[in-house]
Amino acid sequence: MVDLVYFQLLSAALFVIGLYGVMARRSAVLIVMSIELMLNAVNINLIAAASHLDGTGKFANFDGQLIAIFIITVAAAEVGLALAIILRMFRNRSTVNVDEINMMRW
Amino acid sequence: MAWFIFILLAVLTIGGALGVVVTRNVVHAALALLVSLIAVAGVYLVLFAEFLALVQVLIYGGAIIIVLLFAIMLTRSSDYPRVTDNKQWPLAALASLAFLGVLAPSFIINSVEGTEAQNASFTGIGESLFTTWAVPFEIASLVLLVALIGAIIIARSDDGEEQG
Amino acid sequence: MDWAWLIPVFSFAAAPLIVVFGKYLPGKGSWLSILAIGGGFVVFWFVLGSWLGANSGTSGCFTSENTGLLTCDYERSWFNAGVVGAVGSVSLHWGILIDPLTIAMLGLVTFVALMVQIYSLAYMKGDPRFGWYFAVHSLFAAAMLTLVLADNFLLLYVAWELVGICSYLLIGFWHERPKAREAAKKAFIVTRIGDVGLLVGILLIWREVGSFSMLDAFEAVRTGAMSEGVATASALLLFLGAMGKSAQVPFHVWLPDAMEGPTPVSALIHAATMVIAGVFLVARTFPLFEAYDADPLIVVSIVGLVTALGAATIALVSTDLKRILAYSTISHLGLMMLSLGAFGYTAAIFHLMAHGFSKALLFLGAGSVLHSTEFQETGDMGGLRKVMPVTAIVFSIGALSLGGIPILAGFWSKDEILVAVSDNRNVTFIVLTLFTALLSALYMGRAMFLVFFGPLKDQNSQAHESPIAMTLPMVLLGVLALGFGLISFNWPGSFGGFGTFLFFGHGEGFHFEVWLGVLSIVMAVAAFVVAYQIYVRGSISLEGVRSRNAGFLKVVENKYYFDEVYQWTVDRVVLVFSRFIAFFDRAIVNDIMVNGPADMTRRFGVLLRLHVTGHVYSYTLGMALGSIGLGIFVWLRVV
Repeated sequence: MVDLVYFQLLSAALFVIGLYGVMARRSAVLIVMSIELMLNAVNINLIAAASHLDGTGKFANFDGQLIAIFIITVAAAEVGLALAIILRMFRNRSTVNVDEINMMRW
Repeated sequence: MAWFIFILLAVLTIGGALGVVVTRNVVHAALALLVSLIAVAGVYLVLFAEFLALVQVLIYGGAIIIVLLFAIMLTRSSDYPRVTDNKQWPLAALASLAFLGVLAPSFIINSVEGTEAQNASFTGIGESLFTTWAVPFEIASLVLLVALIGAIIIARSDDGEEQG
Repeated sequence: MDWAWLIPVFSFAAAPLIVVFGKYLPGKGSWLSILAIGGGFVVFWFVLGSWLGANSGTSGCFTSENTGLLTCDYERSWFNAGVVGAVGSVSLHWGILIDPLTIAMLGLVTFVALMVQIYSLAYMKGDPRFGWYFAVHSLFAAAMLTLVLADNFLLLYVAWELVGICSYLLIGFWHERPKAREAAKKAFIVTRIGDVGLLVGILLIWREVGSFSMLDAFEAVRTGAMSEGVATASALLLFLGAMGKSAQVPFHVWLPDAMEGPTPVSALIHAATMVIAGVFLVARTFPLFEAYDADPLIVVSIVGLVTALGAATIALVSTDLKRILAYSTISHLGLMMLSLGAFGYTAAIFHLMAHGFSKALLFLGAGSVLHSTEFQETGDMGGLRKVMPVTAIVFSIGALSLGGIPILAGFWSKDEILVAVSDNRNVTFIVLTLFTALLSALYMGRAMFLVFFGPLKDQNSQAHESPIAMTLPMVLLGVLALGFGLISFNWPGSFGGFGTFLFFGHGEGFHFEVWLGVLSIVMAVAAFVVAYQIYVRGSISLEGVRSRNAGFLKVVENKYYFDEVYQWTVDRVVLVFSRFIAFFDRAIVNDIMVNGPADMTRRFGVLLRLHVTGHVYSYTLGMALGSIGLGIFVWLRVV
């Protein structure tokens, strides 16, 4: 069987790619996508731990999976809000590129 | 067999993710994201988390990708095919690699001796969700409601109002 | 007797009351001030009575080993710093010391202040700051009374500075006039130079004795616990303070300018407060001066003699009536110092009182003349005895008293000084002292004759006698100036003379050296006669003397160029140095040390704000780098 550590490494790789996307992309839409990648990385980590450490830790059987469900819930809410914000931003500034939106500075 | 499937899914996941962060076309990025998310659902199946895989496909593969495509459409992001990275992307790449350099060794060095991956029944998840996790569940529903209302208010047209 | 502290407290209480409630009270509260000082005068008699009834068995009283006087000391703990009695702790006391010196001063101060305040009722009538005048007057008297009563150097210093600030306020009372402002500042600053000496002297004594109490200091001197060097040094430093306050050369320059204040203030300053504080200080700390070889007293007598002689010559050529009186005061203060320096303790205090009454009288008289004629120059006066007879008579009494005409108070006290000087100092001193006495009679005669005798000028024909509130105090003071000298004698069966009441070491009756007495009488009478011949009859012309000594006369008329020298010093030394300090302050302190850090902060801020780009991705990068750093930190902790 596949060991826990490989899932963790997959999770780390996915997370780092998402992080790079957040830091490097210009479009707000792409940044939101990258955030989704990061959330998925966390979910993989949680579920892998839940499956592999069933009953060994102080966590109950399904805790990891349930936390992942909540993360997905929050992710859904976040994407909805992000869409609203992107729309408003586009309407006010006619762009979705974050490097053109730097009003909150000195 | 499990190994083969895992490596396949891992390659798809990483490949899709890389597609999201390197492609110059927003629509392509969305499609790459879809690939990555579905592959993640597969990873859940390898971990015997069928319910999560189901949720992943339904919510990510369905709702979230649709919402993102709506965003792309409404902002006409696809009209700018040359969506490029911003000026600090080399720095971002370095930082990301450094992050990986911290994260991966820590997973390897502090590896935990796990049991075999086990199946978690739907019944168990349901019971746990409505007993131990009942309060977070209710709060999550509240969060969704607030996000919904907030999204409507933020995105609503300003017609007849003072420009904010 | 321990309730003698009530005397200053009355006036201390009156001052703020007048300031705060004065405008709602009839007479702007002036009667409060008079009531307070009058109360003090009444209490003075009780203090005198209980002191006379006291003996060394009375609570708080003992016969001082230093002075041989019955001394009463009542002190309270003021505050303790540190644990009482522990090493390094400081315990401060405040209290009152009552001995004949204190009692004599109390009587002088309360009486003269009372007289001056009654006089001021009429003199200051209609002044827009009438109430304020009386408030400061009260505070002035209270400060002086505290100074007199103080049993420790700390309280004395506090009162000393209070006296200084009150004199500043009163000299500059008409502060709309630039000259009054200047005079007030001059008085304050010049006396302040001396005050530094006083403060250093006090601290020196404290360091040596470990106590601010005067009695402790005297005891330390007597037992030898305070070494000769320290005793001499502290005595000289105290004398520096006394020189400033008592307008001794070279600190005398403020007193003539102090004439810019209202005339009653001059009367108070010259007779009862302020200037006599210096003489009082030397008398009070006489054990320090007299200790070991009494070296400081030589300095005291020399300074006194120079002051007496120099001021007397200036008084002789001044034309401003108030200035003549001012230089006369300086001269007589010099005589008091000379007397103290010649071990004439009793004579000095006796002269202080006699001079106090006479000089208060003269100033009140001068004020009366000014009030009526509105002239200050003696040249504008003359013949005023015809229109203001009471003023003329009492002014003449004061002038004759200070001039040293027998029977009057000034004669006896001056004679005592002459005796002391001839007993304890060499022949140069006595000759110069006699010469000063002669000059004193001469300028007093000059002032008296120029103002009140001769033909009445037309411009003064409207002059009139002053109201009763002004003449009554003058008459009362005149009675004292006339009869005060009588208490110096031995009245068989009742009173052994002033010398047995107030003395240093052992009591003595009245001395009278026949040759000195006769000589001084002859000189005083001759001086007045000469003055009469010159200024009234005109039978002796001064033109010859003037032309032959034109050079010297010019020097004297310019007050020996003291003011010019000081002005030069201030311009060329003090201001140049101040400019350097100002430059240092601007360049080093302000530009480098104050603005420097401010500039640095600003520049650093300008640099620092560059990281606030407003770009979301920069902040994300920051978060990522922070997380990496945190991860490495945790790693290092674990590994």
